[in-house]
Amino acid sequence: MVAVAFINPFSEEGRQIVRELGDLNSVYEENGNLIDLVIHSRSQDIADDESIPHNLIELALKRLEWYIRKKNNPDFDYKKYSYLYNPQITRFDVIAFYLLAQAISVKFGPNSRESRAMAECQGKIMESRIGELSIRDKKHLLNTILGSMLVGDVKWTIFADLLSSRKIRLSDLVMDQGSIILDEEEFTESFQDKLENRDPHKMYELLIGDHIKELILNKMIMQKTEDYITEVYKKSQRKVEPNPILLDLADGISEVLSKTYVSYGYHGTADENMEASPFNNDVFPPCVKTVLEGIKSGGRNDAIILFLTPFLSYARLYPDVFRRNITLKISDVDPQLEAVEKEILPLIYEAAERCSPPLFEDQPQEKVNINAKMGFGMHSDIELKHEGETTWYTPMGCEKVKLHLPSLCKPDETCKKIGNPLSYYIRRLNDIKYHKTDLKD
Amino acid sequence: MVFLMEENDRLLQPASQEERRRYYREEWDVKDIPEFISNSIIKREFGFDHMGRGPNDRYRVFRSMDLLRKFLRYRAPFAAYSSVAFYNKPRRREGWIKSELVFDVDAKDIPIRECGCAGVCEICLEQAREIVCNIMDTLKGDLGLKNIHVIYSGRGYHLRVFDEEVMGLDSDVRGQIVQYIIGAEVPRNEYAQDGITYKLEHFTIPFGYPKVFTERTKYAILHLKDHMLIDDINPKLLKDAIKNQEILHEDKWGMFKGKIGPQRYQRLIKSIAYLNMGLVDAKVSIDLKRILRLPSSLHSMVSMKCMEVKNIEKFNPLRDAVPRFVYERKV
Ligand code: SF4
Ligand SMILES: [Zn+2]
Repeated sequence: MVAVAFINPFSEEGRQIVRELGDLNSVYEENGNLIDLVIHSRSQDIADDESIPHNLIELALKRLEWYIRKKNNPDFDYKKYSYLYNPQITRFDVIAFYLLAQAISVKFGPNSRESRAMAECQGKIMESRIGELSIRDKKHLLNTILGSMLVGDVKWTIFADLLSSRKIRLSDLVMDQGSIILDEEEFTESFQDKLENRDPHKMYELLIGDHIKELILNKMIMQKTEDYITEVYKKSQRKVEPNPILLDLADGISEVLSKTYVSYGYHGTADENMEASPFNNDVFPPCVKTVLEGIKSGGRNDAIILFLTPFLSYARLYPDVFRRNITLKISDVDPQLEAVEKEILPLIYEAAERCSPPLFEDQPQEKVNINAKMGFGMHSDIELKHEGETTWYTPMGCEKVKLHLPSLCKPDETCKKIGNPLSYYIRRLNDIKYHKTDLKD
Repeated sequence: MVFLMEENDRLLQPASQEERRRYYREEWDVKDIPEFISNSIIKREFGFDHMGRGPNDRYRVFRSMDLLRKFLRYRAPFAAYSSVAFYNKPRRREGWIKSELVFDVDAKDIPIRECGCAGVCEICLEQAREIVCNIMDTLKGDLGLKNIHVIYSGRGYHLRVFDEEVMGLDSDVRGQIVQYIIGAEVPRNEYAQDGITYKLEHFTIPFGYPKVFTERTKYAILHLKDHMLIDDINPKLLKDAIKNQEILHEDKWGMFKGKIGPQRYQRLIKSIAYLNMGLVDAKVSIDLKRILRLPSSLHSMVSMKCMEVKNIEKFNPLRDAVPRFVYERKV
């Protein structure tokens, strides 16, 4: 039987494994049992010693590396990571999981891109592992784990966090009088009368079945991962010095996350390796063009501050923020703040000026908010010494735009393929780039 | 006939300052303010519009209903509002505790309006009422919410939800609730099991979000009229949809889709999903610090009472929410 902790490191079983670890220094020691297990995992590629983790720290990094490679290239060769799918790895894997989460907590904190990458990585690992299980094991594990996490009548409101972060969508859930229907019997009881001549079992399997359970479980564990990182972060704030082992690991994590893995024989998606470059206003998405023309009616402040400022600053300085999992400050990419002063702010100010009434005419203090959204704190001038007092806001996704600023969104053909105005921009930039090379040929 | 004309001339006109005074002195009673306000008065922020230029007298607090009574009697404001939020320090809008979950259905913003009038009229007010009933069904049946109050706002309706489990939700969750109850997205139509994909159109699924979408779409299609201009629906498609409305009365969706053609059907429901976004004003629902028109106060633009509706099935604003002074107006 597959261990519960193989899927859920937060289970009692998982916590027990951590308690038994003992000395943290042992995580650097060459671990014969681990190596043995890796080598003997089914279909594991052992041609290259590099692909075998020799200790728990290396295993931790391999986990993330697997995720990043998979993300950048869905077709990549799993054979180098087969051991991650081997249920026997559980006791090492759980420790690797906690090492990663703690290192990220103390170095990058919650809400960092690293912490998001960690949660996503956990989600993906879970998903892949469950995918490899036999139907029987899968049903058993799903029911055991969910059964221990969700007790009794489950109201949709307990998923407020997951809904808020859009890990789960309300429309994915089947609800009756506020309760989420997960169980087949309950389903039949609730909806039998309405189903007329349709087969209730089939309808249940298609609309709820294991995949909704899996979705909920998966997202709950991702959320728990983030919550755990927050919790450790809070505790670590009280201590003076974090453990050097964790800090070391954190450096390793940065390195893994920043590598772009080139994949051979595969084109990759068009928006890989996007470099910062001057604006090309022609390929801005419709919503951005609308704001640049000035807002004449409601939503003026939000359009300029919450929507336009993050979009322009990322589009100009860090366009592939969503592909790379690293938190950057503006000064990491624009150390003299030249692009900010000469390209980004002028565009924002012009748009603000074109609004009616012009934004700064009646609310000059809003300049401060623009600076804040770029990470420079609540100050009237942009100065390096204030950088980091606020966070550099990432651009709003299309869905948020549609809700908060519906008048901006006038989708065109390209919009169908993207979920964020920034991806729109990158896509169109790439179209141009590739088109040009075609011409040269 | 002549009588009706006169009646219309009286109704829905702005109220003069003198009329406002009379309203608050002679007609209004502090007891008309619902309990859900009076029992939380010290936690709420109040806002007023004195001149008809927007509610710029904000951050007001009242320690008792009597003080609020005196204020309204004496000032007879153009409009009065109170926050949906409960604060520990309402005077500074600080110490947020929770907010009502609200949905604003404004008759003049209904996406598919039969009347096509410039402001509001009997027809679009009735449409607004129907939409409110539909949304209520979903709030109760799907989301299991129970403590819902309906307010006639003067030009439409506010649904105000007080169930504790939703009052702490953030804007993002509220946004998703809006999308769910108005049918703002076409549900997927492919469902997979054991590697096989099955096609299931929204109308074949009689529960969950697909059911909500089907109901809202039906409502929209049945209200289409040939004078309408709708993005992505060309005149021919509009005409065909109208021609086949009958079929939908009996919920024969498969047949309806067949008549329209599968591709055009997709186009139709996609545009309708987009239009559904306008059924409620999402900005109101996601704003945790919004102020809403105070029930019992006067909507001076249209001379209507903002009031709690006890029985939405039977409510008729042009009968039930018209203040007395309107009938005493000289035409
Ligand atoms: S779909 Fe997205 S990118 Fe396109 S206009 Fe709307 S918000 Fe902008
Ligand atoms: Zn009308």
